[in-house]
Amino acid sequence: MTISVLLVDDEETFVQTLAKRLTLRRFNVYTATRKPRVFETLSENRIDVVLLDVRMPDLDGIEATKDIKAVYPLVEVILLTGHASMEASLEGMKMGAFDYLLKPVNIDELVYKIEDAHRKKELQEEKIRRLRDQADEASGDTV
Amino acid sequence: MSAFSWWKRLLDRFRGGPVGQHNIEEAKGLFESRYHALRLLLAANTRALKSMAEMEQAALSNSLFGMSFVRSHCTAVGVSVFKMVRNLDILAPERYSLLFERLEQIQGRIDDELATIPAPTDVPYILPMEAIAHSHSEITGSKMARLGEVANVVGLLVPSGFVITTASFDRLIATNDLGPEIARLLQTNQSDTLDELFVLSSNLQQLILTAEVPADIAVAIQGAAAEIVDPVAGTTFALRSSALGEDSINASFAGQYESLLNVRPSNLVASYLEVVASKYTPQAMQYRMQRGLRDDDVAMSVGCLEMVDARSGGVAYTGNPNNREDSNVFISSAWGLPKTIVDGRFASDLLIVNREEPLRVSSRVVGNKNTRFVLHPREGVRRGKVDEDLRLRPSLTDAEAVAVAGAAIKLEDHFGTPVDVEWATTDDGAVVILQCRPLSQSAEVTRAALPPDAPPPLISGGFTASPGAASGIIHWVERDVEALSFPDGAVMTLSQPLPRWAALLDRAAAVIAEEGGVAGHLATVARELGVPAILGAGPLVGFENGREVTVDATGRAVFPGRIEVLLEGVEETVAAVPDNPVRQTLKKALAHIAPLTLMDPDGLDFKPTNCRTLHDITRFCHEQAVREIFAFGSDTSFPEYASKQLHYNVPMQWWVLDLGNGFKDTVKGKYVHLEDIACKPMLAIWDGMVAVPWDGPPAVSGRGLASVLFQATANPALSSPFKKPYANRNYFIISKHFMNLQSRFGFHFTNVEALAGERPEENYLSFSFKGGAADRERKAGRARLIGALLEELGFATNVIEDVVTARRTNLHQDDVEDGVRVVGYLLMHTRQIDMIMNDPSAVERYRTKMQTDIRLLSKN
Repeated sequence: MTISVLLVDDEETFVQTLAKRLTLRRFNVYTATRKPRVFETLSENRIDVVLLDVRMPDLDGIEATKDIKAVYPLVEVILLTGHASMEASLEGMKMGAFDYLLKPVNIDELVYKIEDAHRKKELQEEKIRRLRDQADEASGDTV
Repeated sequence: MSAFSWWKRLLDRFRGGPVGQHNIEEAKGLFESRYHALRLLLAANTRALKSMAEMEQAALSNSLFGMSFVRSHCTAVGVSVFKMVRNLDILAPERYSLLFERLEQIQGRIDDELATIPAPTDVPYILPMEAIAHSHSEITGSKMARLGEVANVVGLLVPSGFVITTASFDRLIATNDLGPEIARLLQTNQSDTLDELFVLSSNLQQLILTAEVPADIAVAIQGAAAEIVDPVAGTTFALRSSALGEDSINASFAGQYESLLNVRPSNLVASYLEVVASKYTPQAMQYRMQRGLRDDDVAMSVGCLEMVDARSGGVAYTGNPNNREDSNVFISSAWGLPKTIVDGRFASDLLIVNREEPLRVSSRVVGNKNTRFVLHPREGVRRGKVDEDLRLRPSLTDAEAVAVAGAAIKLEDHFGTPVDVEWATTDDGAVVILQCRPLSQSAEVTRAALPPDAPPPLISGGFTASPGAASGIIHWVERDVEALSFPDGAVMTLSQPLPRWAALLDRAAAVIAEEGGVAGHLATVARELGVPAILGAGPLVGFENGREVTVDATGRAVFPGRIEVLLEGVEETVAAVPDNPVRQTLKKALAHIAPLTLMDPDGLDFKPTNCRTLHDITRFCHEQAVREIFAFGSDTSFPEYASKQLHYNVPMQWWVLDLGNGFKDTVKGKYVHLEDIACKPMLAIWDGMVAVPWDGPPAVSGRGLASVLFQATANPALSSPFKKPYANRNYFIISKHFMNLQSRFGFHFTNVEALAGERPEENYLSFSFKGGAADRERKAGRARLIGALLEELGFATNVIEDVVTARRTNLHQDDVEDGVRVVGYLLMHTRQIDMIMNDPSAVERYRTKMQTDIRLLSKN
């Protein structure tokens, strides 16, 4: 199954270049350069992994991670940043980000991280499916 | 629940199976989640250890790095360790929650080490010169604090003026929100090459030049200037950088920041920004890097001093910079502003004043001073021709020279160290002190005798601006474009030794310049960095780019080719002070990161609360993760997830737990045969173990064997190395590309772990080995031998007593398998050699044999 990625960054050129490179690697890529588009895209599409710039003019990446995980707990977030501050990176991880990657991005490393994040999401989805089946079975038994 | 299904489940439980399909799926799902968590944990472990190794290497090496290296590596380790803790929490929910707390505490300590020194509070934005003393250096920078002291305590004449303090700088950065953007630019832009450095410098300076000076600070600057300005005389100002850390011993920053001369009062605010922006000139950034100074700690204050229209000016040293035994006063002097001297571009006079009372000029060399700097009628300074009749006349009378020397000696007495003083004389004969900083001096260097067959020098003469000798190819630098193509290790060849070329000093083997003298800024920085330099050498005819030469700065000569005898005994250029602030910060941070204090996984103290460093946490997480994975296989009632006993001709004392795809097919029953194994690292280690037949224990003397037997019975640690049941056997935990082996070979405890997947960046091979039955000395000898053999194969090894740990990372699949094969061989063939470790010839024999075997083992 193709992995769907939402790439969020205010630097248009960066977004376009990275989107092109990820598409070549057979990812299904959506992009957003402003905050409102992020949640629109998430609500309209089945997104597996969000790549999120930590520092955007109208968006605090750490807060956005928290918001995304609150509404879409299974969607994995990978933070992209140029500012290596331990506090910021850890803050993002504590908010539920899957991982953290420093710009400039190494494409192979990014692809690995996306695949790992997607695998985690898949495993969680399977677990939920099993629990639901069990619940269905249990409720079937009581009928 | 229907009566039928209730009855069926009860019956299943009573019979011990079969188990419901959904339970198997649940177990499978759980197992897969755990395996995924283990994989992520191991990848994070590899990253954490890699970053730690890089940090340790940097701390011990002489390489240059800035705070961005320290911060990004601390971040990388912190994030990796957090990921390990989080994934361990998936493997064992809430069992090790205390680790999150420990991690937070350790990180708090690391953050404290990285924190910028807090700026003093309640600092005024402006301080008048008459209120400044040396104790103000934290807010005015040392340069201006020392000048305040010169006027207010020593009582010498300095220009009127005021200092725009570091509080103004902090406000400027804060109100324009520049901090995060500067940090972002520094972090994201490489400055490894000069063109990258120039781009980064330009972006950073642009950021400051376009910032707004807060209105109240602008008003305060204008107000302070108004108190000094004489509208009739048309007072103008000299703006001098006075950054924190500037002008200290061995870090003069001579000429690396901007000074603006003859600035009109109406332009003070804009000029202030220009001086602040010069914090990021390429040469200043490079200089901080070379000196290991933390960017965050360098707040820029700016001195605004009334401009002195100098008749003559220059620099005085209260000692010989190239010979600390020589305490004469050396004065470089020229007509006009001292800029003529400190720029190091033009001819000047050199006077030596003997400091015995009464002071007297003992030597004078008068240069042909055809150029001088004077005030421009509107603003700034301009270069002008010196009148013919003045050119060869001394720019300083004997009386003035003695007055300058007297002032300089007074300052040396006051500050308690030889000093470097910038001065000017006025038309009415007054001596004004413009700057005073510690003089860095070296011991006298004696030159090796030239061999009789040495070629004649290409040039000889000039000044030894920085002693020593070096060889390299000529590379002329006149413009930026030539600076950008400067090859590492070349001889920087200049017509004029401008301070800006200091940015190239860490790449240059030596410096030769046609013009200039010992008192120029470039000369000062070359001395600090230990780069041999001859300035004022005269026309450099025949110095073509690419020609190899040997610069003998001590002997003031340049020879064609490479003259080995001159280079012998000359230490490599020491570009960085061994323990500069950045390296100190790295070491302090490392103290909370790298030491491993949690050694024994079976010790009672192996628990989260005893993790003192991030390395301890990685160790704890790794160990517990493997145990948790094993426990899952043992505790579940599903045979698919239980371990199997290895069958190799006969049942072996080896158990194998498959994490997924480690077996070719589903294995039924309690045995797994070697041919069922799909795990490549496991097959490789087995291959290594059986590749070369072991000829049994090496022949030992009666004493050696007795020692082994004694240890076997007397050392209680050998009876059971682990308390947990899984560790009492030899175990492989495997998947298709992963293998963790825990084993006891005789008396030796071994752990081998390898990941040989498709991602070379994540692949690794780690090996640890401990124990033995011989005495301590022989066990340690064996550990050293194994360590040495592995090091030859590219492992990063660490040997402490009888413990060897070794690790290789970033490997192609095949290379991991090769390495594992060698480790398998070593496990079998070193197990009993501790018995012969006190016989050097036997050790050598075994070493040679093993080296040969290892070469034959390599398949790739």
